[in-house]
Amino acid sequence: MKRFLIQRFLQLIPVLIIMTFIVFSLVYVAGDPVALMLPEEATAEDVARVQESLGLNEPFHVQYGIFLMNAVQGDFGQSYRYNQDAMSIVLERLPATFELAAASMIFATLIAIPMGIWSATRRNTFIDLFITGSSVLGKAMPNFWLGIMFILILAVNTQLFPVSGRGTFMHVVLPAITLGTAVAAEMTRLTRSNMIEILQQDFVRTAKAKGVSNGIVTYKHSFRNALIPVVTIMALQTSTLVGGAIVTEQVFAWPGIGQLLVQAVNARDMAIVQAAVFLIAILVIVINLFADILYRLLDPRIKY
Amino acid sequence: MKMTLKRSVGGFSALSLAFLVACGGNEENNNTTNVADPEDTNDNAAEETNNNAAGNEDNTEAEAEELLEDSTLVLAMGTDMVSWDIHDHGNTSTEAVHVNVFDYLFKRDSETMEVEPHLVADYENIEDDVWEFTLHDDIYFHNGDQMTAEDVKFTFDRVIEDDTLSEHSRFVQLGEIEVVDDLTVRMNTDGPQPSLLNRLAGTGASILPKEYIEENGMDHFLSEPIGSGPYEFDEWARDDRVVLTKFDDYFLGDDFTEWEEVVFRAIPETSTRVGELLTGNAHVVTDIPPNEWSRIDDNDGTRHINADSNREMLIITRQTEGVATSDPRVVEAIDLAIDNEAITEQVMQGSGTPTRTRVTPGNVGANEDLYDTFVYDQDRARELLAEAGYEDGLEITMQSPQGRYLMDSDIAEVIVGMLSEVGITVDLQFLEWSQFIEHYQNNTNEELMLLGLASSLFDAAQNLDHYTTTSPLNEGRMDYSNEEVDELFEAALVNMDPDEREQQYQRIQEILAEERPHIYLHSINMNYGVSDLVDYEPRQDELYYANEITRR
Repeated sequence: MKRFLIQRFLQLIPVLIIMTFIVFSLVYVAGDPVALMLPEEATAEDVARVQESLGLNEPFHVQYGIFLMNAVQGDFGQSYRYNQDAMSIVLERLPATFELAAASMIFATLIAIPMGIWSATRRNTFIDLFITGSSVLGKAMPNFWLGIMFILILAVNTQLFPVSGRGTFMHVVLPAITLGTAVAAEMTRLTRSNMIEILQQDFVRTAKAKGVSNGIVTYKHSFRNALIPVVTIMALQTSTLVGGAIVTEQVFAWPGIGQLLVQAVNARDMAIVQAAVFLIAILVIVINLFADILYRLLDPRIKY
Repeated sequence: MKMTLKRSVGGFSALSLAFLVACGGNEENNNTTNVADPEDTNDNAAEETNNNAAGNEDNTEAEAEELLEDSTLVLAMGTDMVSWDIHDHGNTSTEAVHVNVFDYLFKRDSETMEVEPHLVADYENIEDDVWEFTLHDDIYFHNGDQMTAEDVKFTFDRVIEDDTLSEHSRFVQLGEIEVVDDLTVRMNTDGPQPSLLNRLAGTGASILPKEYIEENGMDHFLSEPIGSGPYEFDEWARDDRVVLTKFDDYFLGDDFTEWEEVVFRAIPETSTRVGELLTGNAHVVTDIPPNEWSRIDDNDGTRHINADSNREMLIITRQTEGVATSDPRVVEAIDLAIDNEAITEQVMQGSGTPTRTRVTPGNVGANEDLYDTFVYDQDRARELLAEAGYEDGLEITMQSPQGRYLMDSDIAEVIVGMLSEVGITVDLQFLEWSQFIEHYQNNTNEELMLLGLASSLFDAAQNLDHYTTTSPLNEGRMDYSNEEVDELFEAALVNMDPDEREQQYQRIQEILAEERPHIYLHSINMNYGVSDLVDYEPRQDELYYANEITRR
């Protein structure tokens, strides 16, 4: 296990270096941030002056080299837009991002697992069709539209929830449901199909033949076995939630990393883009590591 | 146990499904109306809100009144401010917040935009290039330090000396600044500067606390800024909110503003912003596109306001030799083919005023004869094209941004349609803003380029800086040249006689209206949603002085 962990951490290094290179190249190719920083009446001279002061007149490999040297020391540079240390701006957003991701995941899990099991045990009944149908719908609805509808119906018209922003528990409910709906839909379908597969296996039939009650067969014997793929998808989805809540954050004015990243890309604010992507990458890797550890707890046969 | 689980599972599914079905139905409706008739969508939305609003009117009023009782004013903007660095943001929504925390030597009147002394008790233009300003003796920063001439010198020296600051080029001509005594400062400008007072009332001209910054460093100042304005900084949660609280020792007295707290919220999504207004959680919301107007107007307790701005939509023409648009008959034909009023009335739904000049009322040197007017004559346009040798048609390219300005892509498409009616085929290129601005700044603009220009100086000196032969904003981009324009502009730039200077600027505008290096379309109006609990007259400079918003 220890060896496994060390190995995984060592794998991080090349992954992060390659990632910074790709992000750096993409932002570099996208063009010059100075054009966007200055007012419309700026002259070519103004542009050149600012480019020089930011070191943007250097060739690509020099710029990347300088960036990498600093990044190794934990310095991702200054944000062009905010004139402040980029990583601290990104870290400022982490609590909001975690809050939304965790709330969405809790919502999704609370919906998906019972639904998936219920639907699997009532296979081909009306309930099954109903749940499968709703999960297709849940997956198909765009976040953008769903968020706006929630705001219109539950915040503006009935005023049950605040319209936007972050603060109290009530503030997180609508964005979490918006973001969690698609995740719940996907997890429901996966839980259902795994459960169906497991319920048809020999050990289940044996347990039933021994006279074990349906409830214990379903929740103790089958469910635990069906969980491994579900944990995988939970890990994958959590990673997406951390980095990809862009649309939901925008609609609900939720000050998370997603919104920051979009604005940074629009402004070609390299330091923020790098710091944010770097942080998200680390989070994704750590979350997947947790999933690997969870597998072992769920299935003692798995050894690393 | 089994039963309980079953029940809770059933409850969940029923709830979620009921919700999903309800929402699914709406999507279909919305989509169809959108495709069938865009105007219908507005009506539907309005009707829907209206019905619902009736039931929640009490709630809305209660929420908004509760905020008012706490003396909290909430403004919701589309973008957040970017920095507390007054010299390095180049952005109106940032300045709009700054004006409440920092104070300026001069300030523009909220209605006429005329410059008036503010921190300055007295001033004198000793020689053409020497100005002396005396501060009021009771101005304090939020930490209790008195504002002195040293603070004024420190502030302007910073932006004059540091050429990496984005405001540097706008202040470098302020020249040398001397401290005469505790309250008096002298500016020895770089040649006569007739627009100096406008500059001192404009973006980035507020006064910084020297001692506070020198003691604690700029980084500390940026995270805990202090100024001498009517509000103190309390909190800034980036992309969420800026909270300001009333400064009790403000030099214009305790009753200068009635709000104990002012909150600027950043809400990028328009419908969400409007939602905050409708639920009474915001008193003023900015940047409201036409499709949201009726939703605001039809709701009890809120209204939509349309106000002038200092932004203008125009088309840049390339007059480089050899290009079709270098022929004055062609550019005139293009101008004549465009029905400016159809654009402002149909596309912008009244949210714009046709213009033939870049210097609109409210700016020093405005030529009012050329404002609220336009030329439109498609027959004459066809004749001119035939005279220029294009009776069989002309093909040109127009670049346009998409989503940068209100209805920009719609305007571009309408113009292409109008030009095709007189025989001009336009290859319309929509560009994402970062690409667009690169084409603009690298002078890789085609025959025509649709652009919006704003001016923060409120003086023709800034607006007309685009048209002299050697201006970097002209050379290589428009390649427009007129000797009279060059001479008049140079003369006006250093002319300390305000009347004569104004005439010079007005004459330049007459020439430009005929020769059309820019084909002016309209000045853009800004649209706001306002709660009926407050009175608000938006300013042309789009700055939100909290004290100018009052309880009804």
